[in-house]
Amino acid sequence: MIVSTSTIPRPIRWRVFRRSLFLQASWNPKGMQNLGLAWALYPGLVWLYPDPRVRREAVQRHLQPFNTHPYVAAAIVGGVLFHEERIARGEEGPERVQAFKRALMGPLAALGDGFFWLSLKPAAGALCCALVPLLHEWAALLFVVLYNTVHLALRIKLFRLGVHLGDRLVEGIAEERLPTWGARLRAVAAACAGGIAAWLALRFGTQQGGWEGYLLAAGCLGLGGLSYGLVAKGVPTYVLLVVAGFLAGAAGAFL
Amino acid sequence: MVVDWSDVAKAGAWGGLLALERRAFLQAMLSRPLVAATGMGLLLGEPETGLYIGMLLELFHLGSAALGAALPENETLAATGTTAASACMATGEGGGGTAALWAVALLLFAALGVVGRRVDRRLEHVSARLADRALELADAGELERAVRLHGYGPWPYVAAFGLLTAGCALAGFLLSPVVYALPLAVLRGLAWAFPAMACVAAALAARSSHAQRGGLWATLAGAAVVLFTVAYAWVER
Repeated sequence: MIVSTSTIPRPIRWRVFRRSLFLQASWNPKGMQNLGLAWALYPGLVWLYPDPRVRREAVQRHLQPFNTHPYVAAAIVGGVLFHEERIARGEEGPERVQAFKRALMGPLAALGDGFFWLSLKPAAGALCCALVPLLHEWAALLFVVLYNTVHLALRIKLFRLGVHLGDRLVEGIAEERLPTWGARLRAVAAACAGGIAAWLALRFGTQQGGWEGYLLAAGCLGLGGLSYGLVAKGVPTYVLLVVAGFLAGAAGAFL
Repeated sequence: MVVDWSDVAKAGAWGGLLALERRAFLQAMLSRPLVAATGMGLLLGEPETGLYIGMLLELFHLGSAALGAALPENETLAATGTTAASACMATGEGGGGTAALWAVALLLFAALGVVGRRVDRRLEHVSARLADRALELADAGELERAVRLHGYGPWPYVAAFGLLTAGCALAGFLLSPVVYALPLAVLRGLAWAFPAMACVAAALAARSSHAQRGGLWATLAGAAVVLFTVAYAWVER
């Protein structure tokens, strides 16, 4: 249970959160997410700093280069509000918020990449591909629902952790055990990929019918297994895809 | 061959909209191949085409991710462009989507992901200019204007990817008579090519899942599906 300590009104915090959903819109190689961060924080900074001169300094400190995982950034955006509140009250210097961002953006990026990009996304994608035979077009909708139920719930929770716990948000994130869940999700992704490969081979083989159907199914499974080994040896994925297409195409045309 | 310009416009609008989602807002995975291609298929009246091309490209790009400042291939453009081309090939000659048409579209358009990455890289410089301008405005005390520049970031992406996707749809219509004129044996071969490419994509997905013992999990699941299917067919006899 997170106990609220923020004096920033809830509608303004909610507005900052909503704006953080656009964090990447002006991503650029120089400042990366700097403009997105400043834009997201702006309503909070306007409320905290009525003096335009002090507000300008606050905006400028968030136009410094900044880059992290776009979802996990919610924790940093919340944490920045936590620190800016204290800076506005004169309880700490502006260097604290810069140190907070610098300290967390790297580790949180690694955590976000590992969980969202390399675990949740592949698992949801492979699972819903494996459900295509049962759900047809609804599998695409299920993918969006499954992924975003986890994504949005975590994003909101991380923002709240940042706003209310500040530097202690790390403890809150640790309790989520994201790396453990990530490992399980990756196993789900691998299993679903194997299952759908077998289903595709059998489905198209059955459609073909006769001994040619058996040949097609076995050939597809063989090419899949071979590709699994070859990609580990550094063979480009497009080469594998095209060569498989041509080999199967030649077999289909001439047998 | 009749070009349906409303289909070309719909394809461009969907491609542009997904570029906005992929780049700027929420990143709720509407731009992933399974969703992007299925949506394109539904829009163009070829849902099965979208679903199967989307499934294959989802598996093919399963491990792709924007890690740090690295840019992955643009799997969204690959999915929307390939589906738009395939659906328009089918409707151009008044036919429906087939595995042969999906295979042709994949062989010709699946590498659009690489093109998309190049476009992404070029457009980053537009965003960099916006960020520089924002810093100047902030220095001059014009904070509202400075932070508002953030909202201009995604629009070049919407325009570029919308046009590219519309171009793929148009290419599909133009290629349609050529594909339908192919000899029957070649079409049969192409129909075999699709499941082979899909199985390769699934194997690549198992590899790029980064799971410990990923090969074992994939093999076990594949074997379970084969056993279940064989047992089911036996009982049905």
